[in-house]
Amino acid sequence: MNGFATKSIHGGQLKADVHGSLRMPVYDTVSFEFESAKDINQAFAGRKPAHTYSRITNPTVEDFEQRIRLISGGSAVIAVSSGMAAISNVILALAGAGTNIVTSKHLFGNTLSLFERTLKPWGLEVRYVDMSNPAEVRRAIDENTRAVFLESITNPQLEVADFKAIAEVSSGASVPLIVDGTVTTPYLFRSKEFGANIEVLSSTKYISGGATSIGGVIIDNGNFDWRTSPRLKDWAKKMGPLALLGALRREVFRNVGSCLAPHHAYLHSLGLETMSLRIDKSCSNGLDLAKFLQQHEKIASVNYPGLPDSKFHKIASAQFGKRYGGILTFDLESREACFKLIDNLHLIKRATNVNDNKTLILHPASTIFCEYPDEVLSDIGVRQTMIRLSVGIEDFNDLRNDLARGLALL
Amino acid sequence: MQITVNGENNEVKEIEVNLSKLLELRKVESPEMVAVQLNGEFIEMNNYSSTYLKSGDDIEFLFFMGGGSK
Repeated sequence: MNGFATKSIHGGQLKADVHGSLRMPVYDTVSFEFESAKDINQAFAGRKPAHTYSRITNPTVEDFEQRIRLISGGSAVIAVSSGMAAISNVILALAGAGTNIVTSKHLFGNTLSLFERTLKPWGLEVRYVDMSNPAEVRRAIDENTRAVFLESITNPQLEVADFKAIAEVSSGASVPLIVDGTVTTPYLFRSKEFGANIEVLSSTKYISGGATSIGGVIIDNGNFDWRTSPRLKDWAKKMGPLALLGALRREVFRNVGSCLAPHHAYLHSLGLETMSLRIDKSCSNGLDLAKFLQQHEKIASVNYPGLPDSKFHKIASAQFGKRYGGILTFDLESREACFKLIDNLHLIKRATNVNDNKTLILHPASTIFCEYPDEVLSDIGVRQTMIRLSVGIEDFNDLRNDLARGLALL
Repeated sequence: MQITVNGENNEVKEIEVNLSKLLELRKVESPEMVAVQLNGEFIEMNNYSSTYLKSGDDIEFLFFMGGGSK
């Protein structure tokens, strides 16, 4: 079983279902019964392989985790309640007061808020650098750096870093490199092959089947020596390469209570089965729409890594196998023109999310980033004239016609 | 020989037993999802077959449910 789609469809299930169900059933239960007091003691101590309580593990969630492990090539996976839970769990497991993380100036708005407004007051220093400049990353790392964090394609700036170059810097400093691969997934980007140590994803997007339910994933790529991590070295003494998994499952993830609901895990496993087909269509629609918009007289500029004139086209081609994801942005002459175009559309939905089956349109500055003043927006590359399009899997002609009609009314 | 596995005394009849064999004897279905400690020390998976047990050894198998593997 070598192919990505084959693994997505046939992977997972660790034990045969008692009724021969071809799909892992939804185990909508909180707890699991044991035959004796000794049995339940052994399970709690980790000396017996058994589910005890669904906040910690659950058979349907485990099936989804095993599928992700198989398709990603990672060594350990924990499914969590959202992409934000994936990021927060990992940072809580690796860093703490008096330490720092190095990250990009260009981040998803809620990730920026997590770092700036939630974790900073607990004593975490966040150092923002230009990830297209590995030397700047190197200068920002010191003995208190616990992680380097960046997105595979930044949202909404659509910047693509040279991951091998960043990984060389982080591994040279014995600092784990965390990649948020939400918009690429392991289908487009093999983060382990490019030196990332941990991948976090919002499985709400492509994985869930096109925005069916909220979820997240943490993948330990198995290529970092956790004995060098100040926070995890004791776990590494007990569990070796499973140290991050142990620290999460038996401490942070368990204690924070960020478990994925079994029903969501079922939907996400179902979504995985068709994910590669949907991503292919989303990427081809994205490229075709970017080319269409680039030719349109009312569009000031289009940003999409798939366009040859994008400054990230070359590195994106090398890293993502010549597929560039389903997000593009374009600029109109004013914020008012952006609002008017959004209101002019009939088919494309006015909604926040990315990688839905439906194409979605959003004005990032007035929505995801509405809590930030203009000077911050300017610094992070979010313009009042910018529109974000998350391209779905509809027929291209219908999408083009909807945009053409909307633009004609400006 | 007498060894302790997960806190319980065990009599092993085989003369030469390494950790791979012990996992097999204990019918561990997914060895890649178990962390093994020998006398308090974590043992790397690729050292299982070269790690032979002796009488009095204390072995801990720590099972990981969910998406773990070494």
